[in-house]
Amino acid sequence: MSKQSEIEKVRMVEMFDNLRADKYPLKEFNYVGQNGPRRVDGLAKASGQADYTMDIQLPGMLHMRFLDSPYPHAKILKMDTSKAEKLPGVRYILRYDDPELPESENLGHVPVFENDKPLDGVAHFEGQPMGAAVAADTEAIAEEALSLIKIEWEERPFNLDPVAASDPNVPLSFPERYSDGNFWNRGVLDELIHGDVKKGFAGADKVIEFKFTRTGHTWIGPERPCGVWRWNGDCAEVWLKHQRPYVGKARISSWFGGIPMSKIEMHMLYQGASFGGWTHVDWNLGGLYCAAVVSRRTKRPVKYVFTRREDFFGGSLDEAVYFVKVGFKNDGTITAVNATAYHVNCTSPVFSPVLHLHENTRIPHLRGQQKSIWVNKGPMVALRCEQLVPVLVQTMVMDRVAAELGMDPIELALKNDGGEGHDMDWLNEQKKERGFEVRDSLKECIEKGKAEFKWDESWHKPGTRKLPNGRMHGVGFTWTHEWSDSSGTGEIAIRIERSTGTATLLGIRCDNGVDAENSYCRIGADELGMRLEDVHYNPRFDPGFHPNSPDSAGSMSVNGWATRHAARILKQKILESASSPTAPTQRGSYQPAFRNTKPEDLDIKDSVIFVKSDPSRQMSLAEFVRPMATQGPLANTEIQGARQAWSEPLFAYGYHVQLGDYNPNDPRERFCRQAHFMEVEVDTETGEIFITRVVNANDVGKVINRMSCEGQQYGGSVMGMSRGKLEEVIHDPVTGVMLNGNLIDYKVATIKDVCPIGTILVETGMGYGPYGLTGIGEDIATVVPGLLAPAVYNAIGVWIDEFPITPDKVLKALGKI
Amino acid sequence: MTKESKKYVCPYCGEGFDTAEGLKEHVFKMHKGCGLPVPEGGIRLTINKSEYELKVEPNWTLYYLIHDVLGLTGSKQFCDRGACGSCTMIVDGKPVLSCMMLAIECDRKTVETVEGIAAEGHPLIGAYVKHHAMQCGYCTPGFVVTSKALLDRNPDPTEEEIIEALAGNICRCGTYPQHVIAVKETAAKLQVEKAAGKGEK
Repeated sequence: MSKQSEIEKVRMVEMFDNLRADKYPLKEFNYVGQNGPRRVDGLAKASGQADYTMDIQLPGMLHMRFLDSPYPHAKILKMDTSKAEKLPGVRYILRYDDPELPESENLGHVPVFENDKPLDGVAHFEGQPMGAAVAADTEAIAEEALSLIKIEWEERPFNLDPVAASDPNVPLSFPERYSDGNFWNRGVLDELIHGDVKKGFAGADKVIEFKFTRTGHTWIGPERPCGVWRWNGDCAEVWLKHQRPYVGKARISSWFGGIPMSKIEMHMLYQGASFGGWTHVDWNLGGLYCAAVVSRRTKRPVKYVFTRREDFFGGSLDEAVYFVKVGFKNDGTITAVNATAYHVNCTSPVFSPVLHLHENTRIPHLRGQQKSIWVNKGPMVALRCEQLVPVLVQTMVMDRVAAELGMDPIELALKNDGGEGHDMDWLNEQKKERGFEVRDSLKECIEKGKAEFKWDESWHKPGTRKLPNGRMHGVGFTWTHEWSDSSGTGEIAIRIERSTGTATLLGIRCDNGVDAENSYCRIGADELGMRLEDVHYNPRFDPGFHPNSPDSAGSMSVNGWATRHAARILKQKILESASSPTAPTQRGSYQPAFRNTKPEDLDIKDSVIFVKSDPSRQMSLAEFVRPMATQGPLANTEIQGARQAWSEPLFAYGYHVQLGDYNPNDPRERFCRQAHFMEVEVDTETGEIFITRVVNANDVGKVINRMSCEGQQYGGSVMGMSRGKLEEVIHDPVTGVMLNGNLIDYKVATIKDVCPIGTILVETGMGYGPYGLTGIGEDIATVVPGLLAPAVYNAIGVWIDEFPITPDKVLKALGKI
Repeated sequence: MTKESKKYVCPYCGEGFDTAEGLKEHVFKMHKGCGLPVPEGGIRLTINKSEYELKVEPNWTLYYLIHDVLGLTGSKQFCDRGACGSCTMIVDGKPVLSCMMLAIECDRKTVETVEGIAAEGHPLIGAYVKHHAMQCGYCTPGFVVTSKALLDRNPDPTEEEIIEALAGNICRCGTYPQHVIAVKETAAKLQVEKAAGKGEK
C-alpha cells in the first residue's frame, strides 16, 4: 500500500468519534452541495417500475395474516382452528402454543428491552397480532379463515391513561412482562439533573406552572408492513420491509439454532416509508419468524402482511402528560425548568423532557423526569423522531415565558442560547477548541428566517389582529439545535467496474426516499474526481457491507464519513496502480499506464486520470481498468500479445465509528441551530385553524444534496402541521378499542392543507460530519408540531394545552363550548 | 333476475329462451358479427392499449386484477378503503380508485395505468424526476395518474385546479409542493408542443 493510502487510513481512524471539526475537507466541490434531479430512484418511482416488498409474487407463494386480539387485555384459554383449517385454500395455521415457537426470541428491537415472543398467547392491547398466523393461497382466504377461529378468552382489566395507570393500586396492564407495576423505566433515561432547580426557582422573578398533553399519533407508513421468506435448501432468502437491514440479518442469523450469514440472502427493495415505526416493533421480525416456520413446513415461500389497521398499533414516544414549572427573570433569562412527563409504553429510549434545554441553552438549573407507564395500547417507538418530547417541552417553555413577559420570542431565544447551562461565550470557546469557525448559528438562522417570513411586520400582541376575512391572525416561533448526527457505525465499499470504468458504491441499505444514495454518490464523485453520472449506488444487493441505518436518522454523517474514507483510499489505489507496472506475472510485466510517474504526480478529474504537470497525458478510467474479455475478467484478448496489460481489481472499503448520544454524557456540544416560523389564521366561529405560512431555517453545516435537504424541510413541515393540527389515535375508554385505525377517520394532511413553505439552508460548517455537515431529516417533522401552540396563542390570546389542536379545543379555549 | 328462469340464455345479452332454436335465431339476428361470447366471469379489458380477455372472480377488485394477477405492480395500495388515491387508474378517461371497483364491472373498459403513461413517454414523468416529486415513492404512481387525467381534461390548469384535482392523493412524506410545480411545468410544455404542432399526448 502506498504511503498516501496509509495516511488516509490513519486519518480514517483519527476521524473516528469525530469530536472535532473536519481536519481534511476538500477545498472544492463539483457535486456536493449542488442541485440535480432524482437521478437514482426518480424514474423508477415515477414510472411505476420501483418494486417494493409488497409487490413481490413468487411461484407457489402463500399469504400469511395474523389474528388480532379483540380485547385490550386478554389471554387465550382455548383456541379451536379446526373449521378454519378446512376452508379451501388454507395451507397452514400456526398456533401460539406450537412447540417450535420459542418463549422468547431475538426480534430485533432496541437491545435494552427484552426479546419478545413471535406469536403470543396473551394480548396487551386491542388489535395486537397474536394467537394464530394463517397461511393461505390468497390474503382474502387467510382473512376469512381468521374469522373461523374459535377462541375462549380470559378478559382482564385494562388501563389506557398513563397517569391513572401509574397508581400502584390499579391492575397490571402487562403482568407477564411487567409484574412489578405499570411504572417501568428500565432502560429509559430516568432523570436529567443539572444544577439545583430549587435554587433556580428561588432566584427567579416569576415562576409559572402549566400542564399539557399530547394524544398519540402514529407513523402511517404507506407500504404495509410485510416480508417474504423462502427456503432454498437450508439457505434463507428474505425480502424485508425494514429500515435496518443489518439488524434484520443479524437477528435472522440467530434463529433456528443459528443460520450462517453466508446462507442468508437479503433483498432490500424500495420501501414505502416507515419513519421508524415497524422497524422498531418486535412483531415485524416476529411475522418473519412465523413465515420462516410455516415456509419450512409447507415447503412454499410465505409472504406475511399486516393490514392498514394493524399498522396503526403503536405510535410516537411523545404521547404523554407533561407537567412543567419554569422560573425566569424579568429580562427573559430563564433560571430553572422542572419538567415531568408521564409517557405511554416507551419501548424505545426516550430522552429527558429537558434534554434540548440542556443542550441548547444557558439555563443553569434543569430537572427532567420521565415516567414510562405501561398501558394497554401498542408500543411507542422512535417515530420521526424520539426528540419530539424534549423539543415540545423547549417550545412550550420558551414561548410561554415570552408570552408572560410580552417579549418577542426571538429575543428570548437569543437571550437563552448557549449550551449545557453556559452562555454563548462558553459555547464559542468550545467551537474554537474543536477547530470550528466561530459562527452564531441561531442568529444566522433567525436573521434569514425573519427576513423571509417578514417577522417584524407579522408579530403582534396576542389576540389583537383580526383579518378582513374575520379570522384572527397569529404567528409563532421556535428553535432548537440540529441533531441529526446520532451515534453509530457504518461500512461501505466502492468498486471501479470493468468495461465502463464507473464507480459502484456497495452497501445494503433501505431506500425510504430521502435520496441518500445520491448524496453518497456526490461525496464519492467529488472525492474520486469522477463525474457524477459515473458514480452509482446499488443499495439493494448485499455485498456484506452495512452502512449505518436507518438512513435519514442521523446516518448522513456516519455514512458520509465512511464513503469519503473509502473514496480517498480507492483514489490512492487507482493512482498507485496507474503509475505501477501492469500485469506483473512470472513472465514479466508491462510498462505502467503512466510511465515514469509516481502516484503523487497524478490526479483524476471528470473520470479521467491525468498527469498534473502535463494534463495532455491522460487516460479515462474506463480505458485504464480495461474491458473484460473472453479470457477472463482482468484481461483482454491478446494475452500473448505485445499490447497486453491488465489492471488489478480496484476496490476499497471505508468505515466509520461515531460517538454521540442523546444524553448529557455526549462529549460533543451542539453548535448548529434551526429556527422555525409559522403563521396561522383562526376562525373563532368554527375553531378551524388555517396554517398559512411556514418558514424553516436549518443550519445543516454543509449541504450535500440540496434538493434532498429541502425535501426534508417541506416534507417535514407537512408532517409537522399534520401532527400538530389533525392527527390523533383515539381509543374507546369503555372497551379499549382503537376507533380510528384507518385513513378516513385518522386525519393526515392532504395537498389542500399545505401552505407556502420556506426552505432556508444555512451552512456554518459547525457540524461534526464530513465537511462540517450535521444532517437533516428527522428534525422539521419533530419541531413543527409544537409550533402550532404559540402561533394559535398569538392569534387568540389563549393557550391551548392539548395536542393536536383541533377545532373543538379552540372553541373550548374561547369559551364557546 | 326473473322468477322464472329460462333454459336457454343468450351469452351476450342474458335474454332467456325456451328452446335452443329460439336462442339460435336470436343470436344470429341480434349478435351477428360479434366475436365469440366471453364466458361467465369473463371480461374484456384494454389495458395500456393492449387487449385482454380475462376470467375474473366476482370479488376481485380492479386493483387486485391488475396488480396481483397481471403483475402490473406500479399502482399501489396505501389505505384499505379508497382514502388515499395510490391505486388510481384511468378508466374510460376518468381517474378512478381501482381498489373500489370490481373487476367484473369493467367489461369492455379501457384502463390506463402508470406503466402505460410512462411507456408513452409522457412529460409528467420527467417533470416529476426533475422536481423531486417523490420520496419513498409509494404514492407517486397514484399522483402521476391523477395528474395525467387532469391534464387530459384540463390542459392548462391553475394552481388551485391542480390542488383540487390532487386533493384525494395522500403523501405521507409531504412532497405536495413539488407536484404543483411538476404539473404546471408539464402543462406549459404540452402547450408549447401543441402550438408547435408536435401533437399532444
